[in-house]
Formats: sequence, C-alpha cells, structure tokens
Amino acid sequence: MKLSNSRFEQIAAIVRKDFVIGLRRRATFAAMMMFALTAVASLSLSTGGIFVEAKFLAALLWVVIFFAASAGISGTFDDEAQAGTLPTLKLYADAQAILFGKMIYVLLSLVALTIFILPIFLILFDVAVENFFLLLATILLGLIGIAAAGTLTAALTTSATVKGGLFPILLFPITLPIFLPAISLTELSFTGGAFDSSSLVVMVAFDLILVTAASILYDYL
Amino acid sequence: MNKILILLTLAICASIIFFFPPIKGLGDLAKIIFFHVPTAWVAVIAFFASAFFAAKFLRTFNFSFDKLSARAARLGFIFVLLSTISGAIFSKLTWGAYWNWDPRQTTIFVLILIYGAYLTLRAAVSDEKVRAKVSAVYSLLSVLTVPFLVFIIPRMYFSLHPSPVLNSAGKIEMDSIVLIVLIAAVVDATLIFVQLMRREIS
Amino acid sequence: MIVFDDVSLSFGRHELFKNISLNLRGGKVIGVTGANGAGKSTFLKLAGKIIRPDSGEVKLINDENNCALRIAHYALQFAAVAPEMKIYDNLTAQENLFFFAKLRGKTLSAEKISELGERVGLDLKTFGNVRAENFSTGMRQRLKFAILLSVDADIWLLDEPTANLDDDGREKFFREIQAAKPDKIILLATNDRAEENICDEIIKLPL
Repeated sequence: MKLSNSRFEQIAAIVRKDFVIGLRRRATFAAMMMFALTAVASLSLSTGGIFVEAKFLAALLWVVIFFAASAGISGTFDDEAQAGTLPTLKLYADAQAILFGKMIYVLLSLVALTIFILPIFLILFDVAVENFFLLLATILLGLIGIAAAGTLTAALTTSATVKGGLFPILLFPITLPIFLPAISLTELSFTGGAFDSSSLVVMVAFDLILVTAASILYDYL
Repeated sequence: MNKILILLTLAICASIIFFFPPIKGLGDLAKIIFFHVPTAWVAVIAFFASAFFAAKFLRTFNFSFDKLSARAARLGFIFVLLSTISGAIFSKLTWGAYWNWDPRQTTIFVLILIYGAYLTLRAAVSDEKVRAKVSAVYSLLSVLTVPFLVFIIPRMYFSLHPSPVLNSAGKIEMDSIVLIVLIAAVVDATLIFVQLMRREIS
Repeated sequence: MIVFDDVSLSFGRHELFKNISLNLRGGKVIGVTGANGAGKSTFLKLAGKIIRPDSGEVKLINDENNCALRIAHYALQFAAVAPEMKIYDNLTAQENLFFFAKLRGKTLSAEKISELGERVGLDLKTFGNVRAENFSTGMRQRLKFAILLSVDADIWLLDEPTANLDDDGREKFFREIQAAKPDKIILLATNDRAEENICDEIIKLPL
C-alpha cells in the first residue's frame, strides 16, 4: 500500500463528489435526520415528565445514533450500485481510495447528524452535561468506529439480494466493543463522575483496529 | 470412530445420571452443567474454526474452505443455542433467574448475534462466489471483537458466574472425579464437533 | 501485453470459459465477437481484472505488482466504455469529466475540456453545466467517450461503444480509436459490422 499525494487527492475527490451528490439528492440526509428526530421525539414523548436516569439516557442516545446511522449509511455503496456508477467508480479509482473516501464521507455525515440531534436530545430530556469535553470526545470516537465498520458492512450488503434490516444486524455485533464503553462514558459525562481513562483507550484502540481491518479486508471484496 | 464416540458419549451420560450423587441443594437437574460446559466450549472453538477457514479461503480462493467455514458456523450456532439454554436452566437453579446479563451470558449472547448475523448474510447473498467472499470478510471482522469484549464486558457487569475450571489462581476447586468426567465430556464434545466437520466434507 | 494463462470461469453450472490461454498484444484493435451470452462482456471484464477467474490467471506483462488481491492500483491502467458503466446523473458533464480525471491524478483545464468536447462531438460550452440526467443516451455515450480520452489509460475496454451513436459520433469514435491504437491495447466487444471493420484481429467466442 503506497500512500502518495495522488492517493489523498483521489480520496478528496471522492468525498467531494459524494457531498455534491448528497446535497443535490438530499433524500439520504433528510431520512437520516428525520429518523433521529422521530426517534428522539417518540422517546421523549413517551417518557414525558418522568425522571430518567443518566445511565438510561446515555443508552437511549446511543441507540438513537446507531439506528439513525444505520438508516443513513446502509446505502453508501447501494446507491451507486443502483445508479450503475459503482462499476465505473471501481474501474477508474483505486480500491483503497474508494474505501477511505466513502469512510470519510460517512464520518462527516454522521458528525452532521450528531450536530443536529444532540442539542435536541439534551433539551428534550433536560440533560445537564457536566463534562462536555468528555461527551464530545466519546461521541467522536464512537462515530469513527461506526464509520469504519459501517463502510465495510455497507460494501458487504451491496451484493445481498435480500436487504431489509440486514445492515443493522451485521453492524451491531461488530460495533458492540464501541457501544459499551461509549455508553458508560456518556453517562459519566452527564453525571460528572470520575471516569476511567482505560475506556477511552479501548475505544481508540478498537477504532484503529476497525479502520485497519476495513482497509485490509476491502481488497478481498 | 463414530462407534467409539457413541460409546464414549453414552458412558459419560450414564456415569453422570446414575453414579453421581445429586449436587447439594440443587437437585438432579443441576447435572446439566456437564452438558453446558462442553457445548459452550465447542461453540467458541467453532467460532474460531470458522474464522480460520474464512482466512484460509481468502488466501487461496479454494471454495472447500468456504464450505468448511460455513459448516463450522452452522454447527457453532447449534452448540451456542444448546449452551445458552442449558446455561439458563443452570442459572435458574443456582441464582434463581434464567437471565441476568452476567458477563458470560452477555458474551455468549453476542456470540449468538454474530453467528446469527453471519448465517443471515449467507442466506441473503445468492451468488455463491460473492457469498463466499462476503461471509469470509464478515467472519474475520467479527472475530476481532472477541478480545475486546472479553476485556470490556467483565468491567461493566457484575459477575456471579463461577470461575472457569482453570481460573487465574491456578487452583482447581472441584472433586477430582467430577473434574475427570467434565474433561472427558469436553473432549467428547470436541471430538463430536471434529467428526461432524469431517463427515460434512466427504 | 495481457496474458490469459489457463483461465476458466463458470457461472453456477454453466462453464463460460474453459482453460483458455492467449495473449492480447498492443498496437492493434482486437475485436471480441460472438452470439449473445457467449461472454463478450465477461471476457472484457476478465481482461480488465474486474472479475477474477475461477482458476488460472490474467496477467499484465511488464508489471511487477503481481498481487493476488483484486486489483487495487494495479487496475489504474484501464479505461472503459461499457453499457453497465454509468456516469453520475447528479453531476454535470464537466463535473463528471473533472471527477474521473482527478481519480487518475489529472486536473483538466478549461481548454482541455473544450478540446475533449470537440473530439467527441459534445458541445461542452452549452452542455458543460447541465446535469447528466438531462442528457440523451447518445450524449451520455459521448460523455463516457470523453472520460475515456481524458484519463489517458494504456488499455481500453470497449463494449459496444457506438451502439447509441449517430453516424457523426461513430466516425469521431473510429477516428480516435485509429489514432490511439499504436501505443495501446484496445479490446472491442461487438456484434456490429461497422465496429468489426475497424478491428485488426477478431477473437470469436466461444473459444
């Protein structure tokens, strides 16, 4: 694997292209955002007025992020496969550039999703965040993991003939090592308790492993 | 080989059912632990076997490795279900509840999810060449989570599960006769798994 | 030179290619013909390493990167015009051109773009900023052709490239092929008389 300047240019070109198309079509973005909004609203409505524990809130936040992300990124390769552009892209672009271009695009759209849904979540559930920096760090590390595993999973499900629900089924077990520490760290960021930095280390390590594994395994697809 | 295995299995079952005194305060049903431990062991072995054959397939593109990987996963799925059910029964007898998200229950549940996802993926891809590639990649991806789960989960959930037979202290807290039968049962289950794998190839 | 070394490929029970060994040399247009379903497109995909044979090997000679993986950067010497290789409908003609050239490390200038437009007979001054979804089939074909010319690849894989073109488009296409062929390997899958006529050599499937 050689990482040259032109590799970065290729990745940048793919990310830019995906953004232009994403903004012009809007449907995927809109569906992901509305999914998250609907989920948060329904959860908030059904627990209205009840005191909800911080641990439970943290879990809710990640459940919302996971399923909204699933709705948004399962089509990462499917959309191109349906439009018939995937073979062209694969012919003209380097495989690793495609993978990392898509991964970065997925990560950026997940960041956009979080910027949209996190304030709504915090307001509707009236959460007082004690450690904001910890919350942001946790969410970013979590999103990197979801983006890496999600991009490879999206490449796997593209060839499936039966797609309904397949993506979250495949994604959940392999991102579980991200969710468990993310939920406990998010809870601590809400309550302001002392946190165990080893959880952060685990998240960083697992992110790195997922990115590396995605890069190696994508070449075999 | 098959005949020897049948005899061994029968001998182990007979010795457990007829010659062992009931476990103190738990009754005869608690002997299900002699079923639970070997099936859990095989479920884990089958998981790594499936990933091993998946890696072999990606290196060689020999489709018989793909078949082996799928067989290991299918057998593993059956064993993990048997192990989970027998474990839940034992849990009810000893702790009073079938399920309480004990670390080991959590881990085995994740194993069920991974096996389930893997088999669903296989069922969802119709082109056999693509299916082989895609499922091998997923198998290898999922095996990466195991060391992390083993590290993370026990920190997050309080455990009531007895230590494994070979615990960190290196002490074996069991009657030697019980231990011998348990080891024999584990060996027997492993051999049954190996035999099923071999039978399926030919 | 593209070398097929004992290549076999089957779809399910249907054996499409069995133990094929042949060399495809550069400097000429190699036609691939045969009845529908004989595997013309598949042959091109094998040559382009887009699909992998069940057994045997497809190699590019004069290339050290003999990795067992799919293709990675190894593939970057190919360019293609084929029906199943679509362009981006949501991008304009110019954006499509820019994007694919960028993937091969080339930045197209405005002059280069209008020159490409002239060569393929697509008025990019007028249509350059129009999204490809508004294009007719023939115009898309010309745009694909412009992309092929812009990336300057060593190997061209052409699958019925002029099927949707008018006479003027065909003439331009044939002229470019003739001009480019001395230093390229050109594979052309076709059932069309006019396209067959520009081939220097014909491989008739099934082999």
